[in-house]
Amino acid sequence: MTFERRILLALMALAAVLPLFVRDQYVLHIAIMVLFFAVLASSLNLVVGYVGEFSLGHTAFLGTGAYTAAILATQHGWPLWATIPMAGLLAALVGVVIGALTLRLQGPFFVIVTLSFAEVLRLIADNWIGLTNGPMGIAGVPQPEWLAQASNLAAKQFYYGIAWVLLALTLYLSYRFVYSNAGRAAVAVRENRYVAQSIGIRPLNYTMLALVLGALLSGMAGGFYAHYISFVGPEVFRFAFMVSMIIMVLIGGKGTLVGPLIGALLVTFLEEYLREAKELRLSIFGLAVIAIVLFLPRGLMGFITQRREARGEALPATGNASAAPTTQRSPA
Amino acid sequence: MELLPQYLANGLVTGSFYALSALGLTLILGLMRVVNFAHGELYMLGGVMGWWATTRLGLDFFTGLLLVAVVMGAFGWLIDRLLIERIRDQGEEPGILLTIGLSIFLANTALLAVGTAPLKVEAPLSAGPLIFGPVVLTKLRVFAVVVCAALILAAWLVIHKTRLGRAMRSTFQDPMAAQLVGVRTANVYAATFAMGTVIASMAGMLLGSIYTAQVSIGGLVSMKAFVVVILGGMGSFAGAIAGGLLLGIVEALWGGYVATGWVDIIGFALVILTLLFRPYGLFSKRAERA
Repeated sequence: MTFERRILLALMALAAVLPLFVRDQYVLHIAIMVLFFAVLASSLNLVVGYVGEFSLGHTAFLGTGAYTAAILATQHGWPLWATIPMAGLLAALVGVVIGALTLRLQGPFFVIVTLSFAEVLRLIADNWIGLTNGPMGIAGVPQPEWLAQASNLAAKQFYYGIAWVLLALTLYLSYRFVYSNAGRAAVAVRENRYVAQSIGIRPLNYTMLALVLGALLSGMAGGFYAHYISFVGPEVFRFAFMVSMIIMVLIGGKGTLVGPLIGALLVTFLEEYLREAKELRLSIFGLAVIAIVLFLPRGLMGFITQRREARGEALPATGNASAAPTTQRSPA
Repeated sequence: MELLPQYLANGLVTGSFYALSALGLTLILGLMRVVNFAHGELYMLGGVMGWWATTRLGLDFFTGLLLVAVVMGAFGWLIDRLLIERIRDQGEEPGILLTIGLSIFLANTALLAVGTAPLKVEAPLSAGPLIFGPVVLTKLRVFAVVVCAALILAAWLVIHKTRLGRAMRSTFQDPMAAQLVGVRTANVYAATFAMGTVIASMAGMLLGSIYTAQVSIGGLVSMKAFVVVILGGMGSFAGAIAGGLLLGIVEALWGGYVATGWVDIIGFALVILTLLFRPYGLFSKRAERA
């Protein structure tokens, strides 16, 4: 617990001082994308890591948030500080609806039905031209007024600041959730649903809480994305986004708070770095995913905790190792 | 209303194509419990190889189909023995991630090899029309439906009438007991995955001769196949067929009478409704949920 908190605080402090040293716009853009994906991966991790159900429909929340912010800003002239929270709230509402319908299902059924919801929303965004402008998407999501006069670098720094605040909020809420009784109840459900029920935990209450929290956070990330990229099209619901998020969570280690951050950092850099390889990029990416599943099944953080646990056993009476949540699932 | 028989016929034809494309998935998902996201890419590889065999190698359609079946069968066997075997019995998450990685790899490698252009598999028949009263279908489609039915029947016979099929059914009932009575379960798993791959790739080649084979088609095929499998109930042969036909007919009627732009949404709406009210599929009798 303290180990995890220290790493989180150190990482966030590092991220806070980064723009003081970096003046390069391209690097800053990558850094913003890392923060954005870190928010998304952490929010997905609440479902995948702490509820233990594999959601492939997280883009539903991201897309809802992005469209909400884009529509409110372009058609109703809402400012940025109002659209992003509103995007989160609406996504949370969608989360309540989807959760109520899907959380009763488990295993492959849950996977496919969540995916179906994301696809349905994508098709709606594609076809409801009156609201979403169809495949053309919504372009020109307005920036705050003072940014129009400011330099490009100042604009990037401004968005970096917002992304940092969003990530800080995400980590704070996740931390409070994970180390609360509700979080421990969710983990109990993940580890063994029947035992959890037998001691009076209602699975639906806690899985729902985790899902809605995840939806709220990724909706806000979506609102941020709409303003930063200033364009939203149906591709926010695409499976490609989902794939990036899942890979981040799993590389980093699901069921840990630090894991998704590391995953976001690694994957965003890997994607940028592999740009050099042009067409081969996605093929290599696919192979990397396969390799991770086979050789690093618990993610990087899982690997590190395992090392620490092994050391903890060698040197008895270290309290930290036992606090790290295990990610192994009980046999169903 | 006079178009209704035509819509129904179109729906049945598309539906039988859906059934065949989903059959491989229902084997792998229903029996092996691997949520195979690379299914559409295996289908795509079948189409691309079929194009290569018929136009580049100059084989006729059926020799090409045989070649595709043999090569893809070996490929499926290898996928299972080299990749899926390592994550057996670890729940469905590693399987999902592994097959997503595989699908990204296959789709992009195929893209590098043959490009984005639609590829036409040489059809064994000319495209002339056949007229049955108020309904017009092309010869090629009727032929494809017949081949679909033959392939589905062959798969059914393999599972229910052969020694391998018995070994498969016993393994998926209880792997430990099957092993105790001398079934080599590792081979049975590999054979099941290979069989799913063969069916998917043959579907890809057959339908590549009617529509076109395209590298980017995989995602869409996987989605439709998931829809069909959920509708019919996992691992159920009759379910896959009924689910496919149902989806085909509903889509044809919706496209004919309501709006063509929204056709793809039907499948997902049906999936959501099915899972809410009949989570074991419309036609499955099993009362156990995964």
